[in-house]
Amino acid sequence: MEPGSNIKRSLVTDLSNISGWVIVSAVLIALFFIVFQLVSPFSSVASLEVHRLAGKQLALGGRADIPACASCHGLQGQGNEKTAIPRLAGLHPDYIKKQLEDYARSPLKTRAAVEPIARDYIKTPRTYGDLTVFTPGIRQHSSMNKLARMLSAEDRHNLAVYYSELTFVAAPKAYDFETLERGEDLALRGKPEYGLPACDSCHGPRGQGFGAIFPPLVGQPVAYIIAQINHWQTGKRDNDHLALMRNVADQLTDGDKVNVAAYYDNLSYSVNRE
Amino acid sequence: MKWFFLQWFLVFSFYSVGILPAVAQEIGQSLDSLEVRPSLVNPRLSLPTQLTQVHVISPGEYFAPPLVADIPDDRFGDMVRMGRNIFVNTGVYAERYAGNGLNCSSCHLQEGRKPHGIPLWAAYGRYPMYRHKTRTVVTLEERIQDCFIYSMDGIAPTLDAPEMKALVTYTKWLSKGAPVGVDLPGRGLPNVSRTQDLDPKRGKIVYETHCELCHGKDGKGKKHINGEGYMFPPLWGRDSYNKGSGLQRVRTLAKFIKGNMPLGASFSLSNQESLDVAIYIWLQERPRNPKMSWAMDFFFPNIVR
Repeated sequence: MEPGSNIKRSLVTDLSNISGWVIVSAVLIALFFIVFQLVSPFSSVASLEVHRLAGKQLALGGRADIPACASCHGLQGQGNEKTAIPRLAGLHPDYIKKQLEDYARSPLKTRAAVEPIARDYIKTPRTYGDLTVFTPGIRQHSSMNKLARMLSAEDRHNLAVYYSELTFVAAPKAYDFETLERGEDLALRGKPEYGLPACDSCHGPRGQGFGAIFPPLVGQPVAYIIAQINHWQTGKRDNDHLALMRNVADQLTDGDKVNVAAYYDNLSYSVNRE
Repeated sequence: MKWFFLQWFLVFSFYSVGILPAVAQEIGQSLDSLEVRPSLVNPRLSLPTQLTQVHVISPGEYFAPPLVADIPDDRFGDMVRMGRNIFVNTGVYAERYAGNGLNCSSCHLQEGRKPHGIPLWAAYGRYPMYRHKTRTVVTLEERIQDCFIYSMDGIAPTLDAPEMKALVTYTKWLSKGAPVGVDLPGRGLPNVSRTQDLDPKRGKIVYETHCELCHGKDGKGKKHINGEGYMFPPLWGRDSYNKGSGLQRVRTLAKFIKGNMPLGASFSLSNQESLDVAIYIWLQERPRNPKMSWAMDFFFPNIVR
């Protein structure tokens, strides 16, 4: 054997050499993983900040033909009691996004897609014969429908990020004792004999909202809550999951609406406050 | 070899940044259209042969328990208030007896007031009664002990424990004016007829359609925002009722589901759907029956009592 061929063979077949490469590369990969795990949270915060600022610009300044959201919803997104305009500050971003999508959706221009296997069941199923229709749901409003159709998906995302991070502190208002007592009874216990569950059983303790699906009731204008329950009853609003809110609204009398809205208006509440 | 690692490094580094795909997904989502698909659950209203009974709400027929605001301001009223606290927040007010994440009001819905939701006011006048499970006549206190052992997966309070006294006092106050020894309308759970045709696969679809929204994909429920206690109670897993409890019987669970679930839409599921989803839930993991040995539970996990 010549020494040269020996060296060649060892280069090709020596396992220790290859495993050395593997170890070195694995260490490098692990190092990069660690570095990127450290870096990625910062970069995601930075991108969230970009979305937030873009949303802020749109919300406060508007665009060519889109008026500023703040002109109705308030500079702090606090809503307006007199004109029944809801608070947006501190709502869940996915909730805001969904509502904007439902405002933008035209009930007349929907396209029917027939699929053999259902993908997500979370929408309200409506059974007609042997077909189950999962309607995405709509919200009807004289001005919001037009405005929401002018927003792009990125706009909706930006606005949702901006408004979900705003601070809101509720100013509890005084009501008479009987109203509050009846409102509390409805909020904590519902009307069992009518099959009406308690408001707090889905909207969270003290009506503070739960996740992206159940919005907060506390901190919303009384007039807005009453108007929305009326919309559920008349079908102007139809974008609930599993027809939950439609069933609930059907069981509420006019007195119930006033009492329970007053109860939530009487509670103290703050969100995103340092 | 070198290029191989370089390639994987690029792939991993791209994904470990993580935000790029997420943002693309967030922004790229478009409006979804009206979706019409063949139903995977049995049709409700198509042929006369498949007509189902529709439950009519007749609120006047049920017993009306007193209002919480009317609890008297005396020592008796204090005991009622303590009982109500234990009832709606068992993990806090009866911490030494509760073994899982459930409250009494997780099953006895709306603070034990809901007709067809195991109401307390219908139970109080019926005890002491013969119980097939124990083959003896049991008092209300002994029945509550069984609730703690099985449904709460905990420790039974003794008959003279303050928690037990408070719970019995609350039950007595809630059934003020209810007749004794009478089967009141809305007592216990509604009836669901037997069937041999149970299918957990259909039940899984019903679960994903109607239950998953609140109880979660894994059935472990959802906790409150502050992390204490459950907002939506777990249906299986470590924090749910154990295998000795009443709801572990498929037909009992189907009755509960039919009469009460989804919340606010009682009697919206058919008997078949309730039974299917009940057997789907019955097949899941949960704490063992404390009256059964570890070995039996290991080798025969779903043995029927």
